[in-house]
Amino acid sequence: MHIDGVGEGRGADGVGEGRRARWLPASIVALASLALLASACSSSHRSSGSASSAHTTTVTIDLTPQGCAPRPAKIAAGPVQFNVANTNAGAVSEAELRTSNLAKILGEQENLTPGLSGGFSLDLQPGTYKINCPGASQQHWNLTVTGKGAGPTWQNNAQLAAAVSSYGSYVDQNTASLVSHTQAFCQAIDAGNMAQAEVLYPKARVYYERIEPVAEIWGSLDTEIDGRWENPVTVASQFIGFHKIEQLIWADDTLAGTPKLCSALVGHEQQLLALVRSAQYNPLEMASGATDLINEAATSKISGEEERYSNTDLPVFQANVDGAIEVVSLVQPYLQHRDPGLLSQIRQRDAAVAVLLAKYKARPGYDDTGYVEYSTVLDSQRRQLSTAVNALAESLSKLSLQVSS
Amino acid sequence: MHETERPAPTEHAAPAEGAALAERAALAERAGPSRRRLLAGAGAAGAGVLAGGLAGYFAGQGGGAAAADGSDQKIPFYGTHQAGIATPAQDRLAFGSLNAVTGATAADIRDLLHAWTRAAANMTAGRLVGQDTQPYAPPVDTGEAVGSPVSRLTITIGYGPSLFDHRFGLAGRKPSALAQLPPLPNEDLDPDYTGGDLCIQACSDDPLVAFHAVRNLARIGMGVVEHNWMELGFGRTSTTTASQPTPRNLLGFKDGTRNIKAEQTSLMNDYVWVGRETDQPWLRGGSYLVARKIRIFVENWDRDYLQDQENTIGRAKVSGAPLSGGKEFTTPDFAATGGGGQPAIPAHAHIRLASFEHNGGTRILRRGYSFTDGIDPQAGTLLGGLFFIAFMKNPAQFVKLRQSLAADALNEYTQHTGSAVFACPPGLRPGQDWGTSLFA
Repeated sequence: MHIDGVGEGRGADGVGEGRRARWLPASIVALASLALLASACSSSHRSSGSASSAHTTTVTIDLTPQGCAPRPAKIAAGPVQFNVANTNAGAVSEAELRTSNLAKILGEQENLTPGLSGGFSLDLQPGTYKINCPGASQQHWNLTVTGKGAGPTWQNNAQLAAAVSSYGSYVDQNTASLVSHTQAFCQAIDAGNMAQAEVLYPKARVYYERIEPVAEIWGSLDTEIDGRWENPVTVASQFIGFHKIEQLIWADDTLAGTPKLCSALVGHEQQLLALVRSAQYNPLEMASGATDLINEAATSKISGEEERYSNTDLPVFQANVDGAIEVVSLVQPYLQHRDPGLLSQIRQRDAAVAVLLAKYKARPGYDDTGYVEYSTVLDSQRRQLSTAVNALAESLSKLSLQVSS
Repeated sequence: MHETERPAPTEHAAPAEGAALAERAALAERAGPSRRRLLAGAGAAGAGVLAGGLAGYFAGQGGGAAAADGSDQKIPFYGTHQAGIATPAQDRLAFGSLNAVTGATAADIRDLLHAWTRAAANMTAGRLVGQDTQPYAPPVDTGEAVGSPVSRLTITIGYGPSLFDHRFGLAGRKPSALAQLPPLPNEDLDPDYTGGDLCIQACSDDPLVAFHAVRNLARIGMGVVEHNWMELGFGRTSTTTASQPTPRNLLGFKDGTRNIKAEQTSLMNDYVWVGRETDQPWLRGGSYLVARKIRIFVENWDRDYLQDQENTIGRAKVSGAPLSGGKEFTTPDFAATGGGGQPAIPAHAHIRLASFEHNGGTRILRRGYSFTDGIDPQAGTLLGGLFFIAFMKNPAQFVKLRQSLAADALNEYTQHTGSAVFACPPGLRPGQDWGTSLFA
């Protein structure tokens, strides 16, 4: 998934390590390219050649001790590639594209120490923007975008605009709940109450698993919150977050070391909360994120890999489905006119998943999750679940076209 | 099904793909020499082979010239019989057995077969499943065959006995001869490699093209059918035409020397094509496909001394000549005796027990492939052997032969681990589709 205006990754530090992060940058880059494609109509290749540069404007920004003047400072609306380089500015290491009131970061390139270069790309509508480079003698520089907007038109569609707006609230609410429920989890840990911690762990996890594709935009945060032993690297000191705590509690049967890990986890979640509150989404991202969520259920949940120590895969499986279906519900007013057949197929396949999941519901269930322990679900039963969620994901993969064209 | 709403495919590439495709085509041009030679032999006399025309997936990139190695040859999809049965055996196989998912309806199956027909007609003609021009939709075609020559791709489908149970209202259309095989000698069947509601046999001289066909048909079917099992075959073990050289199986012996050949029209009619004898007229012109996954314990076989290997098969290993004398294609003399008055072709030799002479004239058309699933994690030995496929007028032919082979000396080195039987419908005319025909 890719957020409007947020560039490709967080700068020079790679987000490409590890299993999930591995497909993250590809997805961001792909969507960034797609945005370009849409604006460039039929051209399918981005290149530095003159043939396609008519569609993409390049803005060069050199970080200097004095500032970050964009060249040119006045461009036409449409896809823009920002190339940022730092040759000798020791005190300046980033350039941000912000709204004219400076309130929101639209794109950025961080961590450029002297000798490094990077960039980001996005679609710009007409208006005035600011280039911001903290540490320079002049920190803010104007960028003017002229002409007619060539961007997507979903903003002009009341149903899609409402869906996007509601989705932003959904993400904000779930992220806030993630923080508060993780804080409760940490309190149990701090109190040395392992039984209580075991119950509160899956309760916090579900909020993350509903919105994970959004969190994955900030790749390193996803790894810090939700990384597994094999992700990003099998180095003990770098294995932190939910699943490290899960390993200590369930596999090692200890709370030793968990208070510090838990407080760092909350810190990362609070960073995520600040980021999502200023993020803006679009229907394409929502749709592809819905598919990502079901893909996630189909791979790491079916195998039991995600919650391999606690066996609490079923509630987070449900959370993946819930997060995806929330998107469907939000775009339903639009989709029921646009492609009622697809809507009904998605609803039907979601219902089939629900019927299968219901077989494993229990009260209070394993660790009070409302579900049985995943290790008791037989291979043949997992296969049924897998078949059903793959069918759902296949339908959801057709949503992106419908909401973006 | 949503797939049916996909845009109609076109014959030509979207112009945007040009550069990458040209590069891919150039790679294809440098295909290995062994395949090229084989194809030259096969193409010269192969019945029903079309040369020229589209050079491959996304034709036009290569200027439309026929490939020197014949890899642009297309096998007509439409005809009296399905392609991939009498077609000269291609080098590679991808085979999928699929089951309908819980909740699938008759309409789902009918629509799926309709979509499969269109996709199969496209792919065997060297076209993609669909045109991919929508930047915000997953590509209709998975894309791995772009730039690969069509390489005589055939796609053959079949219906398993279970398709005709209560689920889809097809019980009244079930051919009486279509049933699970009875327990047979020397088998220990793995449920994971047994049966299936539907099968897809994709054969091509290019493994990627064969795989692409099964992958895309399975993808189209997602939500309606799912893979039951799948197998890839890496080398043909039979000839189905007199013009093909006899290949060797993993035993190192020539295989299929006495197979029915497509040119033997009366044998094809007597033993391969379903005719008026069937109780289901829709199957006339079709054939039954029996698939058997046969593990060969190659390590044990490789330790056997040459003469015993030859006695086990009944042929000389290098020349393929029967032990009764002559050359490869000399008719075996099962009555001939060697030194000491013993039969020249031993009593338990494979070719004796499998011969039509020993089985009241019963024959089948074999069309199998060597396979491997890697190494047995417990034993460290090869999980591989023969993915046996045979076509016949009635599965009883296979049962009879297998029962005769209960005493086969080769059983010491083999075990049947997978099994399935399918009724393959007859060929289609343009405008017809499998779904409409089955549910008519």
